[in-house]
Amino acid sequence: MDQFIVNIIHRPEMVPEYAEKITGQGKAEDIGRKALLTESLDIFKLQQECAHKNGLKTTIQMTYASLFNDEAVQLAKEHHHTYGDEISLTLLGLPCEQFREKYKTKDFCIWMFSMEDKKAIVRDVFGKFYERFGFYPESTGSYYMDAELINFIKEEYPMVKCAVATCWEEGPKAYHTCNNSWYTFMDGGPWAPWIPSKQNTHAPAANAEEDSGIVAIPHLSRDLMACYDGNGSNFGTHPQNVLRGMIYDTSTWEYPYLYNLIDQYRALAKYNNGYAYNMMFVGPGWMNKMGRWEAPYELLKKSYEDGCAYYGQLKKEGKLIDMTMSEFADYYREKKGYTEPECALWRDILYGSQKQLFWYCDPYMRVCVNMDQGGAIVDLRPYVAKLNWPVGIGTPHIQDASYPFLIQEKYRAGYFTHYAGEGTVRSAKVCHNGEEVDLCLCRTHARFSQNGKDRVLTLDPVDIEFSDVTVKLQTVITFTEGSSAIKIDRHILELSDPDAQVTINEYMVGCYGTTEYTEDMSSLTLSVEAGESRTQLSYEYKCREASAAGADRAWCKLPPINTLVSLTCEGRDKTGYVKEGYAFSPMFTLGYTGTLRDKEVFTTWLNLEKAN
Amino acid sequence: MAQSGKGKLNFRCPSCFMRDLDIDMFYDKDKKEYYCIRCQYTGTEKDVLAKNEIVRFRYRDMMRRFTDFEDFSEG
Repeated sequence: MDQFIVNIIHRPEMVPEYAEKITGQGKAEDIGRKALLTESLDIFKLQQECAHKNGLKTTIQMTYASLFNDEAVQLAKEHHHTYGDEISLTLLGLPCEQFREKYKTKDFCIWMFSMEDKKAIVRDVFGKFYERFGFYPESTGSYYMDAELINFIKEEYPMVKCAVATCWEEGPKAYHTCNNSWYTFMDGGPWAPWIPSKQNTHAPAANAEEDSGIVAIPHLSRDLMACYDGNGSNFGTHPQNVLRGMIYDTSTWEYPYLYNLIDQYRALAKYNNGYAYNMMFVGPGWMNKMGRWEAPYELLKKSYEDGCAYYGQLKKEGKLIDMTMSEFADYYREKKGYTEPECALWRDILYGSQKQLFWYCDPYMRVCVNMDQGGAIVDLRPYVAKLNWPVGIGTPHIQDASYPFLIQEKYRAGYFTHYAGEGTVRSAKVCHNGEEVDLCLCRTHARFSQNGKDRVLTLDPVDIEFSDVTVKLQTVITFTEGSSAIKIDRHILELSDPDAQVTINEYMVGCYGTTEYTEDMSSLTLSVEAGESRTQLSYEYKCREASAAGADRAWCKLPPINTLVSLTCEGRDKTGYVKEGYAFSPMFTLGYTGTLRDKEVFTTWLNLEKAN
Repeated sequence: MAQSGKGKLNFRCPSCFMRDLDIDMFYDKDKKEYYCIRCQYTGTEKDVLAKNEIVRFRYRDMMRRFTDFEDFSEG
């Protein structure tokens, strides 16, 4: 029977990030205001009550500030005793008078501090926790936890086994939504729990040697289509996020979208050996008595009560298991192996578009396949590199914790560009007598199946209409566990003229980066190999091309992200090629052309390797 | 003219919201209107609420309850 697990997490955040700005409008900043502290604790109590009255246990993540508050500490002890809640420790909620006085900074995101400060803060916070409770926590977290931070915590406090470690697709989009003022750049991570590698939090561990020793959970369970396209903070299992997105009826205060989101996550059990997961983690600032955004307090409160009631109802119906974070870590270790992928066939549940995406994540890659673009790969993160990417003050990436992409259709264009250059995408063009059709324009849907180690995405066939022949083509995409490769088969199911022949051009346009803006491509190398012959191009923005009939491999090496990406092929008349970009189109292209006749198949593999 | 402040709720600019920008507006009590400091939108509370209904145009399935996530036959 399928198992749907939920983690409900509350934090007594004595000075919520948002509440001080809102409740304090028109007043000079005072994070020690009694009214603020009292309100924050009241909200925490209300959240706890909402969960408990629906029969749900919680994880209480004590904040640094709350460890100085006797009532908060006492409440945590009581709720642990009465309801079985786990007493945990978060690295969110650092701001308070004591913290400011000690560290002389207004920084509050643990991953942005220098390593020296991270260590000092962790020792301080964990020490204070021990002083108040007499034991160390088994779980912790923040919006993001960099690998160096996790490794340090695990070394100093080996009992920690679970952490909130990223917020899915919170990056440039969130920054822009906040008028370029919210510096949480952490795109490119897993959307569901994973075991982070020691080298890079976002990249799952491939084996025990890489295992950081914790199970990571995402901050919220987010809409895998809406958050990819738009502001992440509107579309998650956070009832007030749904209100922020204005996804409710203003006259009835109904928001079926929240339940659809939870239910679609439940449905993911079908693609993950019967397991699905949700996480709800609402900070007190979101249930501010002053209201938030356009929503009055009563609506904020109602939405949280409704969210808990729905999880409670599912539990009563035997469709949900509530766990604390540390319980979940044990469950996850038992349930999942290192190389077992996380899969999500996800449909639009909000905009009425019938669009469908497939997300795949394993220790070697994170991939998004877009069925509305004929099965094109529109996002690709090469986890295989296990990129060492320290973040925080004193590192090359002070705020930018995102895992770099090779393909990202939103930041570096996809199929459509403004009439010049190319955008990043992995697709194919079918050609006949001078006519050309890109599969990106063939909208379809897909089904998922599992065959041993293979996760198979079978797309519904599409018709490609040329002036004198129609081609019925089917795409099948196979992810073989542990292979670090994506196999794409193009089957010609039917030709209106059985004697006709079409040509196919399988291609990948790529680059690298973490934002919308281009990086320096000068260190890249492109190559096409056939037998003993190898043509190599050092990237100089000269718009050069090279090809080889019968090529064994076409590849690009990207030293800045320690990645080598290649295409290999099996098919009639195959010719491999590489294309350098130019200043207005700072991309590279790898591809294979070939020919196809009725009932034939053309197969390519996209392979990812760690460079050197 | 006195300084502006927040209104009774922190209404966001509906025009900026449509381009995925969350900008709290300020309230000009002399003109009895909200205004955006990022773009040129101004409006009364009534107008803001009306525009907030319009921004929901893109949520065509906002009130639909899904029971099957692989069935596209219902349109």
